[in-house]
Amino acid sequence: MGKQLFRYSEANKEKFLESDNITFNDGSVVTPEEIWHYLTVEGPEKYPGTFEINLYQGNRASRDETLPTSLKTHYLGLTFSERMERAKDKGKSIAFIQGGQAVDPYTAADTIALRPFLVGQWYHGREHGNDINKSVLRRKQSKEKAFHDMSFEACQTGGYEHIQSGNLRVDVVAPYTVLRCSDVSYGVEAHRHGPNKEVKLFNVDYPLRYQASKPWAVEYFAQNLRRLVKTLDEVSGRKTTEDDLLKAIKLHNEGRRLGTELAELWWSADIPPTNSDDRLSLVSLANLDMHGDVQASLSVLKEARNIIAERVKNGVKGHAVTDNPKRIFILGSCVGINDSRSEDAGAIVVGKDDQWSHCSSLVEEEGDPFYNLAKATLEYPYEQSIEKRAEWTIEQIKKSRADGVIFIHNWGCNTQAAVARPILDVIKRETGIPTYIQERDLHGLQHEQEQNRVNAFIEML
Amino acid sequence: MSLSRNFFAGVDVGSLAAKAVILEDGKIYATGLVPSGVNSVESGLTALNLALGSAGLKKEDLKYIVGTGYGRVSAPYANKAVTEITCHAKGANYLHPTVRTIIDMGGQDCKAIRIDQDGAVVDFAMNDKCAAGTGRFLEVMAGVFNVKLDDLGAIALSATDTVPMSSTCTVFAESETISLVARGEKPENILNGIHHSIANRIAGLFSRVGIESDVFFSGGVAKNSGMKTAIEQALKVTIVKPEIDPQLIGALGAAVIARNFAKKEGLWV
Repeated sequence: MGKQLFRYSEANKEKFLESDNITFNDGSVVTPEEIWHYLTVEGPEKYPGTFEINLYQGNRASRDETLPTSLKTHYLGLTFSERMERAKDKGKSIAFIQGGQAVDPYTAADTIALRPFLVGQWYHGREHGNDINKSVLRRKQSKEKAFHDMSFEACQTGGYEHIQSGNLRVDVVAPYTVLRCSDVSYGVEAHRHGPNKEVKLFNVDYPLRYQASKPWAVEYFAQNLRRLVKTLDEVSGRKTTEDDLLKAIKLHNEGRRLGTELAELWWSADIPPTNSDDRLSLVSLANLDMHGDVQASLSVLKEARNIIAERVKNGVKGHAVTDNPKRIFILGSCVGINDSRSEDAGAIVVGKDDQWSHCSSLVEEEGDPFYNLAKATLEYPYEQSIEKRAEWTIEQIKKSRADGVIFIHNWGCNTQAAVARPILDVIKRETGIPTYIQERDLHGLQHEQEQNRVNAFIEML
Repeated sequence: MSLSRNFFAGVDVGSLAAKAVILEDGKIYATGLVPSGVNSVESGLTALNLALGSAGLKKEDLKYIVGTGYGRVSAPYANKAVTEITCHAKGANYLHPTVRTIIDMGGQDCKAIRIDQDGAVVDFAMNDKCAAGTGRFLEVMAGVFNVKLDDLGAIALSATDTVPMSSTCTVFAESETISLVARGEKPENILNGIHHSIANRIAGLFSRVGIESDVFFSGGVAKNSGMKTAIEQALKVTIVKPEIDPQLIGALGAAVIARNFAKKEGLWV
């Protein structure tokens, strides 16, 4: 059976060309014309898998082509690998971090911070011409190799594998350790004892056991952030000042404010103004590092905020959204459901707690920027005790008017597996809305088993 | 057949068997049950045609068809697809309106389902990735002892002891069984242990969703008397005696849902 391919329709080109440019960190600009060309000519040749219609992998038969920022996030995703290669050619430093943390100090130190997922995207994007099956098999191979090299099975191990194998020009492994999941700590240890000693290692030691209210803990973490910046400077050869950090905090706060505004606009709408995919890709831009370029994310986010405001005002319904969909809130780290198949079953994803925790946490701009950043980081709602995390999650669930909550944890993600039940118990007790826990395979390949449970939950709602 | 009569069908294509139930208004008119092949479209159609043939009906006589089970995603003959969790709930409620808790054990998964008085799902839990605690697990064990799957339960009930068994992995449990036989454990005691290990796993699912009487046992494994007894002991409940083959409950629920959709869409004469 031949592969069915998706192509952007020329009918939407003219409208798209009226949209904004994307401006990058180095001041360069990409016009909608250039983006259109990439999405319709270069992209499909290099990454045919992304244009393959495959509902099992979440690739839709049709997309919201009237939402220019959706096309732009697609463009940023497709060009990610080549942009990272170009950045390295220009001598830019790249650090490996972990999910769930903000990147203000890395931005201050002029270093690109990549989460595990992005490291994988960089590596896999270097090979062109793969269809979906080949791409998935390649990722699976990396993971299996990582399990053996690192002697543990967990999510996000692929990034360490690529760095250990010397596949990518990552300069430093410098995550906030012990934040949200144990996997990163295991990964750091495996990296410390791995064969590749070229890549520097620095642990930004995050105080455990909910210490946000204790001044010593905030000061301790602030000290770690100072040492982080010093380490990043040693790698890049530059000198980062407190003022640089303050500027970075202000820049990221702008992203966080815009992201929050966009999410709240979306939630305020009677009719969902976008589908689940588009909502997530736009709200995630508040993580300004999401596409390896802070300014690029910010410029698309600004445009997205305005478009969503307009859609909400005019009651526009998002592409492929069913009438009166059941609103689902997803909890858990590095997880999600198959949006298009779930939408076909009559649902829509209205929120996720994962990245949202730090995206919605502003950093104080007056005073010592290291201390302020440390304080904000220790206060991330996702990192708090079960009761406190649940309390914050309930607020988000109420704001998003969710009808049901699914907590998903990857096999091997022991921290999230352990907290899933008690968090849902609190949510159920306080809100009365239905909840469901789902454990998933690390490779995300058990489509039918997963979707069967999700669809049953949607039917129950 | 007269078009003035209202026939609805449910087709449940599972991993081991394909089942079809035809309802006429308020009663079960015909059923069909065949082993599933690799082609789920064909399996579903074969079961449906078997039911149609036994009732002297044609597919055109059916007002509405609902597909369920893993084969529902490729069921071009169905008007709508619904998950088997919802279908088992409706099927059990149709037969026994007092049922509030359902244990469904099929070929590749087991489910703990709580329902309300209308047969709507209130909560549910399913086994995770592993096939342990499913019909396939028992099938593998029947193969190890070279006995018929249908005889497994009766053999387990003849046990004088219960040998503790792993319920984590079907493949590992098979090698554990072989080593237990080599150590001289009696087959019936090992099989009794297997049934109890599965029952305990089911009981674990209910710690999530809770139990309320009456309790119903559906799915192919429900025909296994040893499993029924082990579950009754593990959950400390008495299971309602089914009025029809418990393997047909999913298809029956799908037929009930088909009837409801037909009514909603004005297809009811």
